[in-house]
Amino acid sequence: MKKTLRYPVIMLLLMLLRSMPAIAGEVNLSVAASLKEVINELTAKYEKSHPGTVFVKNFGASGALAGQIENGAPSDLFIAANNEWMDYLKNKSLVDKASERIFTRNVLVFTGTTGRNISSMRDLKKLEKIGIGSPKSVPAGDYATTAIKNAGMQQQLQGKLVMAKDVRECLMYAELIEVDGSFVYRTDALQAKKAKLRFIVPQKLYPEVVYPMALTAKAAANSDARGFFTYLQGREAKSVLKKYGFILK
Amino acid sequence: MKLQIDVTKTQGNFTLQASATVEGHRTGLFGQSGCGKSTLVHLISGLVQPDRGEIVLDDLTLFSSAKNISLHPEQRRIAIVFQQAMLFPHLGVKANLLYGYKRCSTENRRIDPKAIIEVLQLAPLLKRGVNRLSGGEKQRVALGRAVLSNPRLLLMDEPLSALDDTLRFQIIPYLKSVSAEFGIPYLFISHSVLEMQLMTDQILVMKEGAITEKTTSDQLARNRMAGSQTGYLNLLALRNPVMENGLHRYPWGTGNLLISDGQADEPSLFELSSRDIILFKQHPEAISARNLLECTVKELFGSDGRIGAVLSANGETLVAEIVRSAADDLGITEGSTLFAAIKASSFRKLG
Amino acid sequence: MLQLAPEDTQAIMLSLKVAFTATLLSLPLGFATAWLMVFRSFRGKVLLEVLVNLPLTLPPVVIGYFLLLLLGRNGWAGKVLDTWGIHLVFTWKAAVIASATVGFPLLVRSIRLGMESIDRQLVQASRSLGASWFDTLLTVVLPLSLRGILAGSSLMFARSLGEFGATIIVAGNIPGLTQTIPLAIYDYASSPSSTMMALSLCIVAVVISVSVLFMHEMLGRNLEKKELL
Repeated sequence: MKKTLRYPVIMLLLMLLRSMPAIAGEVNLSVAASLKEVINELTAKYEKSHPGTVFVKNFGASGALAGQIENGAPSDLFIAANNEWMDYLKNKSLVDKASERIFTRNVLVFTGTTGRNISSMRDLKKLEKIGIGSPKSVPAGDYATTAIKNAGMQQQLQGKLVMAKDVRECLMYAELIEVDGSFVYRTDALQAKKAKLRFIVPQKLYPEVVYPMALTAKAAANSDARGFFTYLQGREAKSVLKKYGFILK
Repeated sequence: MKLQIDVTKTQGNFTLQASATVEGHRTGLFGQSGCGKSTLVHLISGLVQPDRGEIVLDDLTLFSSAKNISLHPEQRRIAIVFQQAMLFPHLGVKANLLYGYKRCSTENRRIDPKAIIEVLQLAPLLKRGVNRLSGGEKQRVALGRAVLSNPRLLLMDEPLSALDDTLRFQIIPYLKSVSAEFGIPYLFISHSVLEMQLMTDQILVMKEGAITEKTTSDQLARNRMAGSQTGYLNLLALRNPVMENGLHRYPWGTGNLLISDGQADEPSLFELSSRDIILFKQHPEAISARNLLECTVKELFGSDGRIGAVLSANGETLVAEIVRSAADDLGITEGSTLFAAIKASSFRKLG
Repeated sequence: MLQLAPEDTQAIMLSLKVAFTATLLSLPLGFATAWLMVFRSFRGKVLLEVLVNLPLTLPPVVIGYFLLLLLGRNGWAGKVLDTWGIHLVFTWKAAVIASATVGFPLLVRSIRLGMESIDRQLVQASRSLGASWFDTLLTVVLPLSLRGILAGSSLMFARSLGEFGATIIVAGNIPGLTQTIPLAIYDYASSPSSTMMALSLCIVAVVISVSVLFMHEMLGRNLEKKELL
């Protein structure tokens, strides 16, 4: 009896192994840094209600994430902090265009530890060091650069901008005494311990902050990814977003 | 020059404990390798500190552990001539020569650079870089450099050991003349008895870190006669020879010497080993040796089983070496008359 | 082919400025340290050797972090500097300090090697001829260490040009102020659409390094020629 069972069991195992391109239930997320707490909470909730699903999370600057996906990093779901990087991957057919949705929105603020009285863009020229995401890859930095340009402050702030690799590093800079303040999202500013919110950057100075999200081309086969994607559009996700101060429309 | 030393220094396994007082212008420090000569040189010059003791030069205390005095090397004005010239490679010959001179205070500058350049014949070398000089030239420049620093004392640490024989005996006249002409006393360190004989009047002998005796160069040569490979070296300064049958006839005392290896135009220094003198009780009728001298035994001395006979011939002195049994056989005593035979080829010219 | 934005030119100028300054500032201390290690013996010498070589073995970011702890406004030295109104962190001076710190062991090592080849008896000769230890240092040791000093300086200069880890931590990535070539390339490299710009800057970095090495060789040969005269 045991001898005859051995052969089918081996065959079954081989079949199961062959049909699994990745570990069963693994979902790879590439998410803009400002969504870290939100996504951590949502994935925790999802893992509880969907045991067997395992999330591999990669938080960083949207540009850096797009570059990684382009270079073949495993990713099922991409949430960017601006349209530019989603468009970038769309143009390379690395995301499923049909799946694109807007996840949430945000606003840009200025926060810092400086002792000076800062309440507008113009007051920034009094400062010596201002943290900003590197506009080449960090959407928050790109938004801020646009705002600075439109406020006519580009010349005055030359040599004062400390480049950060993502918006969270930017927030870290804002917490240091050595940096007077940084451009971050309001949701990041709410996480700050030492930095105090000084002003909200006037919306007329920069385009609206939107977070497009999409499934990657590879995620077509991943049912767990699609399941989570749907979950992110649901009510529970929206309430978590609201809790952290994100804007829903 | 008066030098008083009483120092102790321990370096690893070696302990030096040297004590001596010496007065004079041409003093030697003699010993084999490892006896502590170089250490003593470093202590006297101030490059190394003794553990305790005292060093006094001409009433100036250079070091005293009791009085807590220790002069820096640059304050002692004791110049060193090294075995390997040690010329500064990044400076030219002239800059090397003047290195110590420039650092000598004007009131101490007794010696004129031009005079040194002349005495040491350094003029053709002045424009050259030090790397293109021969060993002998380098040593002459080193000597000039040391003397131009107007030192109280010149320490010559085996300055000839790195030179070949010809060169060695060419340099010696420079060493002596510089000291004589400019009145600079020196302490000449070497392990060569012959160099001691040529350079020094009195000698401190060192052995295993201690100064064991104070003696003269002649006495040293006598003491080492038996143990030396060349016996006692008689040194003869001769000049103005006349050629005779291919040999040089040099005037010597009241008589002559026939020497094969002579030089017509210059005065020469010859060495003659005590072992190359054969003694006869009676006049040998025919003998191949071209020199046959009638002599009287002035003095006999013992040296480790051998007998040294100090002979007086032609008004001059020679030391011959014989074994004890030969002395007994010939019945040689002080006052004996003997004949000494020396081959013309036994005289070796130095330099 | 070579596209250089105005910030890139700034980065190049800044890199050169930081490298030059770091090397020049480190030379006196580097020379003195090498001299101490070669010509003097004292208690705790081993500790000095370890301290000097430490930056070689530590990851540059660790060095940057320690410098930040030391020089930041809450730092041990930073507090003192603050009272004098001196702020170093996130300035080009911090970039100089970062480069100087990581390059220092290289400088000292090269100078040491040069010094060790100086015959000790030359120093003895100099002292016995009336030169004090300081006089000897300047007139004998220094000229004879030139090759080592030159080698060490070039090495340090080249290392400074490539300094990243410590610089980004203690000086930050501030275009126009502290963004040196490596930091600028890092900025470009984070963005997938800027590869051509990064490449241009990389080529510039290579050209500068090759020029430094070339000059080093030429100067070294010149010194050799002088020695043979």
